[in-house]
Amino acid sequence: MRICCGLTNHLELACRPDLYRGPVIVGEWEEHVIAVSEEAMPFGVLPGMPLRQAEHLCPQATFLAPDPNAASRLRELIASALYDLAPLVEVRVEGIAWLDVTGVVQPSESIRETRRRLRAAIGREPRLGLAPGPFSARVAAACARPGRLMQVEDARAFLAPFASRELPLTLEQLERLDLLGLRTLGAVAAIGPRELESQLGREGRHAALLARGAEPDALTPWRPPLFTSAHRQFEPAVEDREALLFVSRALCTDLAAELGLRGAGAKHVRVRLVYESEEPDERYSIVRHPLSSAAELFGLIGGWIKEWQPRAPITELWIELPVLEAAGRRQLRLWAGNDGTSEEVVAAFDRLQERHGESVVRRPRPALLSSPLPSQRFDWVS
Amino acid sequence: MQEAQLDHAISTIRVRFGSQALTRAAELLPPQPWPSGTPLDRLSGIEGMPRGRLTLLVGSGTCGKLTLALDLLAAATREFAHAVVIDTGGGFKQGNFDPWALLPFDPLLRSLTVVRLDPDSSGEAATALVGAGAGFILLMGEIPEPCLGPLEAGANRSGTVMVGVIDAPGRALAHASSLSLGFSRVDWMWERGQLVGLRAIARCLKNRVAPPLGESELEIRYPLGPQLPFATPVIEVHLEKSEMECASAVV
Repeated sequence: MRICCGLTNHLELACRPDLYRGPVIVGEWEEHVIAVSEEAMPFGVLPGMPLRQAEHLCPQATFLAPDPNAASRLRELIASALYDLAPLVEVRVEGIAWLDVTGVVQPSESIRETRRRLRAAIGREPRLGLAPGPFSARVAAACARPGRLMQVEDARAFLAPFASRELPLTLEQLERLDLLGLRTLGAVAAIGPRELESQLGREGRHAALLARGAEPDALTPWRPPLFTSAHRQFEPAVEDREALLFVSRALCTDLAAELGLRGAGAKHVRVRLVYESEEPDERYSIVRHPLSSAAELFGLIGGWIKEWQPRAPITELWIELPVLEAAGRRQLRLWAGNDGTSEEVVAAFDRLQERHGESVVRRPRPALLSSPLPSQRFDWVS
Repeated sequence: MQEAQLDHAISTIRVRFGSQALTRAAELLPPQPWPSGTPLDRLSGIEGMPRGRLTLLVGSGTCGKLTLALDLLAAATREFAHAVVIDTGGGFKQGNFDPWALLPFDPLLRSLTVVRLDPDSSGEAATALVGAGAGFILLMGEIPEPCLGPLEAGANRSGTVMVGVIDAPGRALAHASSLSLGFSRVDWMWERGQLVGLRAIARCLKNRVAPPLGESELEIRYPLGPQLPFATPVIEVHLEKSEMECASAVV
């Protein structure tokens, strides 16, 4: 297993890139600190400490109330941007993004693109780590310089010199480890899971496995949401069919790009025309195969628009895909060669057969090749 | 001032109709070659058949154009997930394309699909398949003129290699092609009183992807003898003089 980890700012901080150059502390009043910018850390402010204490340590900092909705939206944005770079992606609001690049054809390309997309989303260079598991990858990323990658081959040997506070334990448990003299991950690894379990309970076993580089935790994969739409307003209202076709093509391209990122397709398609003075018109259809490319979407929607008779000038065009599902065309960058469009070609064959009959599309299968009669040499299958 | 207005007009069109509505000529990518391993690669001038463009193999009578096309098709079945023959020869029993003729070139038949439609509908089929991203399409016949524009545009986006085989193309089809190669038979080849093949010359008649190159002499041999024709491997061909198995003239 090869896991790439990208470390960035806490996403609460990333929501306010305008405050990047100064100390920023995020937290509810009379609660604990949620996120601290790098500029505030030298003053001794740490996540988890009371906000009053943080204010005492760094009074010049900008204090922000947390906005979990904005952070969650940013998390979704980053996850969807990284989704076509690796089969499994997990992004946390703490500013950690993991990608499982095991089996990816060009992992270095994926990692380079991860860096670029994280930088575009956050506005700062991420630190990157590549290791056999999520924990060691996160520790490796924390050691890397901004914009650089640290690669780890042997997780146990790499983790051994780090302090035991890297482990996901409570303060009380960490103090207990300290009292036991287990101040490095190497020392924790030497103790063994069963012995540490007797001291700290289940978390102790888990910590010992982490320190040994056994990586007991699996990633929680992000999955794309199941609805999408695109629309365009016209000012002034449009009556020209060619203009509508152009706009619908552009919307199909946008939707296809989004579907490609999500690895999704849509069998349900709805097009809505909003008129200047009349009630809106809509057309809805369910197709046999999930549509996922611009050509497929526009093939269907363009055909509708060509035969549509608008009753009045159009002020808005909506294309909605209300039910998304897994498409054949999943995570395109992960496909090799020409496989990415194979399902689309099969769908095009199906459409030709629907329109012109089953016998139009056939595949030859060898039968009696030595027969003098040409009709006996091959079987033709649909 | 004029430049600012022009930039404003361009950005307005892009906002209204999408980023792909206008593209600067300098931003257009040159055609990528698909190396097929046939002598046509060298005649194209880019060491391969141009992706996303239409290539025509033309010539009257028995001159080797179908043999070369079948060689390309066999190579495509080995390389692409979908190699499609669009046969405009009419109903399924009366089509022009016979997969038996393809066997000497060692094709991968599971990648091959044959679409048989009347000439009027063949353009629609070709456009749909090109838009879907089929790797290789062999057109055996004319395509209606109204379909040529969408066909070119779709192929340009998907990078499909399109090859047409036709005796004498119409003006629209000839205009739509980026590479046209003309074949003409020079002589029949006789050995011990038996017809064993033919010599043909392939000329580059039109080339929009590279400076036009000259011509190549090809020697095409019929598979004769007791062995099954499809057991014979394809012989490597050369620019000046080449040998290959002929499939179209097998009786």
